[in-house]
Amino acid sequence: MSNSEDKSNDKSNPESPKVGRRGFLKGAAAGAAAIAVTPAANAQSPSSYETTLSAPTYQQIERDTGMITAPSPDRSVLRPGSDLIVQALKDMGIEFVASNNGSSFEGIQESIANYGSPPNYMPEFITCLHEETSVDMANGYGKAEGKPMCAMLHGTIGIQHAAMAIYQAFYSGTPMLLIAGRDDGFIQAHTANDMAAMVRPFTKWDAQPKTLPECLDALHEAYRQAMTPPTGPVLVVIDMEIQKEEARDMVVPAFQPPVIDGIDVATARDIAQSLLDANNPRINVGQLRTPEGVAAAVKLAEVVGASTSTSATQGPMSFPQRHPLCGPGADTNNDFVLGLESESPNISLFRPTVESLTQSRDDMGVGFGGMRTNVPASGRGAPRQRPGTVMSIDAEGSIPVITGEAMRLISANQKSKIEARKANHASANQSAYVAALKEAVAEKKKGWDLSPVSTARIYAELWPLIKDEDWCLASPSNFSGGHHRQLWSHNKPYSYLGGQGAAGMGYGAGACGGAALAARGRNRMVVNVQTDGDMNYTPGVLWSAAHHQLPMLTVMHNNRAWHQELMFIQYLAGVRGRGTDRAHIGTTLRDPFIDYAKMAEAYGMAGEGPIEDPTLLAAALKRGVESVKNGEPYMIDVVTQPR
Amino acid sequence: MKNLTLFVILAFLLPVTVSAQQMGPVTGDAENGALLFYQHGCYGCHGYSGYGRQDLNNTGSAILTNEVIFRAYLRGRQNVAPLLPSTAMPNYPANVLNDELVSNIYAYIRSMPENLPESDEVATLRAILESAQEPYTP
Ligand SMILES: Cc1ncc(C[n+]2csc(CCOP(=O)(O)OP(=O)(O)O)c2C)c(N)n1
Ligand SMILES: [Mg+2]
Repeated sequence: MSNSEDKSNDKSNPESPKVGRRGFLKGAAAGAAAIAVTPAANAQSPSSYETTLSAPTYQQIERDTGMITAPSPDRSVLRPGSDLIVQALKDMGIEFVASNNGSSFEGIQESIANYGSPPNYMPEFITCLHEETSVDMANGYGKAEGKPMCAMLHGTIGIQHAAMAIYQAFYSGTPMLLIAGRDDGFIQAHTANDMAAMVRPFTKWDAQPKTLPECLDALHEAYRQAMTPPTGPVLVVIDMEIQKEEARDMVVPAFQPPVIDGIDVATARDIAQSLLDANNPRINVGQLRTPEGVAAAVKLAEVVGASTSTSATQGPMSFPQRHPLCGPGADTNNDFVLGLESESPNISLFRPTVESLTQSRDDMGVGFGGMRTNVPASGRGAPRQRPGTVMSIDAEGSIPVITGEAMRLISANQKSKIEARKANHASANQSAYVAALKEAVAEKKKGWDLSPVSTARIYAELWPLIKDEDWCLASPSNFSGGHHRQLWSHNKPYSYLGGQGAAGMGYGAGACGGAALAARGRNRMVVNVQTDGDMNYTPGVLWSAAHHQLPMLTVMHNNRAWHQELMFIQYLAGVRGRGTDRAHIGTTLRDPFIDYAKMAEAYGMAGEGPIEDPTLLAAALKRGVESVKNGEPYMIDVVTQPR
Repeated sequence: MKNLTLFVILAFLLPVTVSAQQMGPVTGDAENGALLFYQHGCYGCHGYSGYGRQDLNNTGSAILTNEVIFRAYLRGRQNVAPLLPSTAMPNYPANVLNDELVSNIYAYIRSMPENLPESDEVATLRAILESAQEPYTP
């Protein structure tokens, strides 16, 4: 980006708060209305600002609550800047803008609603009841599709509501475009000189363009930044003046998609040769970036006849679990292993993650809080080194180069050996799968008929109903037992979207909504096994799902508790010798119980329950699947065992 | 007491299993035990009926051999809190669960029904197992 204000390396920002052009014209009266900010000597430290807070003016409140009409414009705008902004979003293939409305982006919102033919399409405005939901939706969509959708936020306050969801998307490395409206002439508390600063430590990149051409450039660059490893959320702050200015005959520049580097040809050739020379090569596959990357990994494995591992039961964008090459293989003695975003004793390729941004952006020490890849997952203990030769390069961008070299180098003799090996792998992997499934079923049927319903039974009863559908499990599954890992087959890049990112509760329902946005036009359905604690942070997502007719089946894992925390308190009370009979205080959702079918009904979503008798479950799930296939989201409240 | 604690620890560590015939008598009140099992949150990890994160049913665990061992196990858990939160089994000194109450909980655990249907007899489980034979379609 040439001339916009890229704040990513600008930590000092010593300027005093600027007076916007509009504010300047209005003069001091408007400036004094809400917050008078007096920069003191050291403007870098927030505490050195002297602020005088006063309530919004009568006129401001009147306008915000729709009591008066806006003043007539001093000119009629024929081609508002926000139309060009929306055109830029169209050009980049942004399907949805999820947002809770706010006047700081009213120009863009109006353009989404009215510009284009048809209007409100690519992007479509997705009405959210909370900014956390907007961003969680973008997170679910981004994980499922491997590309950004947009969440639009209202000034300082919208960004703050969105903050945790942005934080989690950052941890997950989910590509996402955030737009924040900025209007320094209206309610002063909703604006700030540098509002992106609030989320800078956990966004990849941000900009606050000063002109419309800069803004269009910034949006393009934002997309490229979000998609280029390290992938993650990016934020463009867009001033009201830019949204409302007359663009006259300005053209939206052509969008240049990102070019993502892979390994060089010589290294690719070495790897290809090693794969071809090996008697029993293997490819370990972690989380790639896009569905195209997954397809490329499948092709490479097929060309060289390698058995593969997958992380598809842990998260999105990995090798199809039931592909004949996926599994332990006919012989687990591997003489060459290639790791694609996954460890290997020989060579592994890992793309840079957002951890690498800590130097340039992380004032708050997010990196210290667990971003680092070289510490054990539990957070304590000695740094852990990855084995073998580790190349810091995008695996997905490298796979086609390796495959190309392998196809060029492969001999006829190798080809026939590879075909025989593939057949052996296929039958071995099938046997291994059947054996593992038998074992899993024996385990999961424990307590099958008991009430409350076992968590395993929810996943077990779901599988026959969805296995022939195109499904996406978008809810984190650890708290509900993760039984899909053993019982379901994860064959699509979006089969399972993984955890919250930073273990922040409240993510699940919104992420499922976003995955369902992706699913809606693709004949896919989203399964949401929804924990009750998580549901209650932003339940308004149920309304958004009903309003936008999202194909989302929500099955409550209603254990009537923040159960994880209950167990923690129990243990602590135990070691303190004080008994566990009061551990329910603050950790349970009882007295009264929450009725989720009624909650769904209140938000306009069909539903039923609470179901305590497990024999009623399968029929309810069937009704749910049918409803969702007909384009109506559905909620089934199931009272469950705690874990 | 010390020997007993040692035995309990060993019983827990070694893969010792105890058959139904080897188990000691039940003296407590299972109905009251069920209430205590709920009130003290035992269901949190063991499920409302003994299936959960940590099964109680049919595990053959030596800890459930008899009331004495069970009680010693409850009393002998860790009593210094580590800094990290934990979901391990809490400690239950006598002042929070006296011997009688422990016997009642023991009686309830021993009364828990087994629930492990034959896979062939459950349509869903049959369907899951059959689905493994379906060919992979990308
Ligand atoms: C935003 C946020 N607040 C609080 C927590 C602490 N916390 C961790 S697990 C948990 C309980 C979640 O309850 P629920 O979603 O119902 O899952 P359950 O453990 O009951 O299966 C809470 C509150 C958190 N991780 N994130
Ligand atoms: Mg819960």
